[in-house]
Amino acid sequence: MGQTLVVGTISGGIYGLMAVGLVLVFKGTRVLNFAQVEVGTLALYAAWEVTTQHGAPWIVGAAAAMVLALAIGLLFERLIVRPMGDAPRMTVAVATIGLLSLMLAFESVYFGPSPRILRPPIAGLGTKILGVYVSPTQWLSLGLVIVVGVGLAAFLRRTDFGLGVLAAADDPTAVRLVGVRLSRVSAFVWGTSAVLSAIAALLIEPTIGVIAPGALAGLFASGLAAALVGGLTSLSGAFVGGLVVGLAESLVGHYVVSSSVPGIPALVVFATIVAVLLARPGGLLGGRVATA
Amino acid sequence: MAEIAARALQTPLAQRVRSLFGGRRADVLLIAVALAAFPIVTHRAMPRLFHQSDALVLSQGVALAAAALSLNLLLGYAGQISLGHAALLGAGAFASGILTGQHGLPMWVGVPVGGVVGAAVAFVLGIPSLRLRGLYLAMVTLAFGYAAEQSLFRLSVLTGGSAGVALPRRLHGNTLLIGNPGFLAVAMVVLLALWLVDVNVCRTKLGRAFQAIRQDEGVAQAFGVDVTRYKLAAFTLSGAFAGIAGALYGHAVGFVNSETFDFQLSLLLVIVVVVGGLGHRGAVVTAALFFTVFPRFIKGLHGYDLILGALLLMFTVSRHPGGLASMARERRERKAEREARREAEAEGEDIEDAGKLPSLPELPRPPAMPARAAAGDAPLLEAVGVSVHFGGLQALRNASITVPAGGIVGLVGPNGAGKTTLFNAVSGHVRTQSGRVRFLGEEVQDLPAFERARRGMARSFQLIGLAKELSVRENFLLAQHQLATYSPADALGFTRRAASVERALDERAREAVAALGFEQFLDTPVRNLSHGQQRIVEIGCLLATSPELLMLDEPSAGMSPAAAENLAERLRELPDRLGRTVLLIEHNLPLVLDVCDHLYVLHLGEILAEGEPAKVVQQEEVVRAYLGDAAA
Repeated sequence: MGQTLVVGTISGGIYGLMAVGLVLVFKGTRVLNFAQVEVGTLALYAAWEVTTQHGAPWIVGAAAAMVLALAIGLLFERLIVRPMGDAPRMTVAVATIGLLSLMLAFESVYFGPSPRILRPPIAGLGTKILGVYVSPTQWLSLGLVIVVGVGLAAFLRRTDFGLGVLAAADDPTAVRLVGVRLSRVSAFVWGTSAVLSAIAALLIEPTIGVIAPGALAGLFASGLAAALVGGLTSLSGAFVGGLVVGLAESLVGHYVVSSSVPGIPALVVFATIVAVLLARPGGLLGGRVATA
Repeated sequence: MAEIAARALQTPLAQRVRSLFGGRRADVLLIAVALAAFPIVTHRAMPRLFHQSDALVLSQGVALAAAALSLNLLLGYAGQISLGHAALLGAGAFASGILTGQHGLPMWVGVPVGGVVGAAVAFVLGIPSLRLRGLYLAMVTLAFGYAAEQSLFRLSVLTGGSAGVALPRRLHGNTLLIGNPGFLAVAMVVLLALWLVDVNVCRTKLGRAFQAIRQDEGVAQAFGVDVTRYKLAAFTLSGAFAGIAGALYGHAVGFVNSETFDFQLSLLLVIVVVVGGLGHRGAVVTAALFFTVFPRFIKGLHGYDLILGALLLMFTVSRHPGGLASMARERRERKAEREARREAEAEGEDIEDAGKLPSLPELPRPPAMPARAAAGDAPLLEAVGVSVHFGGLQALRNASITVPAGGIVGLVGPNGAGKTTLFNAVSGHVRTQSGRVRFLGEEVQDLPAFERARRGMARSFQLIGLAKELSVRENFLLAQHQLATYSPADALGFTRRAASVERALDERAREAVAALGFEQFLDTPVRNLSHGQQRIVEIGCLLATSPELLMLDEPSAGMSPAAAENLAERLRELPDRLGRTVLLIEHNLPLVLDVCDHLYVLHLGEILAEGEPAKVVQQEEVVRAYLGDAAA
């Protein structure tokens, strides 16, 4: 039971990072980024290339992954999102589906279908606390999730630019008036969310075990459900949502005999999304949503 | 289905046979003959034309073309996106597989049941997601597709587990259609049937409502379209198409499991539909055949076709949102426009606003919609103590107005005073925090916008409340949505009933367009008209809804001074000649003073003054609100 809670909390934190990336882009540009997780997957391939192929340490591979993710996020923003200007948000969302398809196709063409394996960030045995076993990777995940979460929150709440990012969706004119350039906000949210995706992918990878095209679809689905729990607009709500989804997945998995029902995490995610939409479409912490 | 098949057989020969035997009986006879001849096609003709392996690839292509029609109906017409369409295909395929493979039923039972199952799944998924505005359907379908692939399609109770399901092409008893060329003929007939249903969707109220929803949900509601219901209808119909397409695909390949219908397939369908051209059925079918058939005949593509597809998708949405089909169409339109302009210049006509508004169409009230009036002396419209706030901003504070039947009531005020918000509160386009709205003697504040529209409230929008991609004629048909009383089933089969109603609506639309003097624009997309022309068409469409109250939001904005002057005359016609009541927002004060019987002044979300127009505008606080303290 304790083990289940630890696993749920840690994967929940990682889902939270994914969800925060989705929410940032949604708040900043009102676009739902369907390519979010695949940026992380492609970044994992970069980490694999650097570490496994060229023998660099894990941390160098992780840095390469984040740099590649940042480049993809910024390029996509500059080449596709910005030229689309005021186009309907649905159309921009379809463009992210294009990016997702492109990365999937590229991965299968360039790396082929055979999965790759990344060695864990920290080797060695875990520690046992109160009868619960925590691996070094899990400690790292916990630490990184907290550092990134707190750091991002501080940046957004304490700096003028950060406040501009938070306000951009509600009142673009006011943001422009206080001297924050909307194009910078747009570049910031796309770049940051891409890096967050790379971090989440690096942290979840030891649990998934392999790198393959579309292997992290589950991370995306969970992140989406988490973001929705926060009403798509609340950053703290997204984190809470991540924990809710992570704990629900591991608890349901713990109590249902998994041999009779395959794919329990997927069912939990689907049920969470439907339940939130039926009960509180504005999210647990959010407000009302426009109904048709 | 009989109706569809009958339509397919409306060739000159078929018509001659029909005249021999008369009507319905001939339809049945023709279908019987076609059915009897079909085995000859499947067993003799097709095998001579196609190799086994080519026919198999083509059958899969035809099945995916049917799937593309399905997504096009949802995304291209209604503007709702599904990212789990593969799962709907899977639902149909597994249903047909269980019936034909495990229960020995023939394919012609399995495939339609696949459609029913696809529709049912779509309906259930649509309920939580489609009453909301935005990308919620995309999220729900994405999660459903993931759950189906990982879990539902592997559950032994539902599909017999991870091993998958076989789909024999059972014709009857133990007779199977073994040959691929024969099956290709079956698949093509099914695709043709779906195509014809799709045509029927487009020429009835279904297609018009879907398109209006895609272009502007608020406008659709203002024409009386129940947006949630029609979105759900679009997704359910799309699910039916997808179920049939999935079953066809399954029978083509003979065996499906949870990996047959993966996320990649859902993505491929989005690429096909967007790149081919949203809303263009021919382009979408062509793109589906191209993307599925082409890679299998060309060796050595190694997945580069998918890279190309993804790049094309990004290029298309960011540069040509209409897809390849509309690039060609836009070029044609531009050419036609240039020619028309040249012709008009040659004849010395001014193609822009002639500066004069045509008179408004009389449009007699249809028999189904007699004039409605409030009982006794009750005013037509009464709003009492209406408040609206957006977040922390109070846009409307305890505002009350009364509009008696048969006159023009004006609503003026500085920018940001809350005039349009008051309109939205009355028409149901914004949620009110408090207050009552009474229309024709009934409380309507809790009714959705489309319901208020049906009761005789018509409203214009500042940015023109029309479906701008649709033609002038189609907008007039859309405006008569409430008069299209035939059932959805009538629409899908385009039965005689639907056809006769549509004919009547079309006649009324032509009449209205002729009265406006816009015959030459009948089939022009509204977006190609000038702003002033769009405004005239909008007011005409409002009249076509047969309303009691017309709420006009700044009709003179963007008109030339001459046209605006002319507008006054037209506005007076509404109460004086046509017996309608008008609530008017206007910035043009001379126009307001000219036409209004009563005037309300709104300032900072509150009613500041009301009364006889000429007197109200002289009141001190009104002048101050408009010009600032110094002026008063």
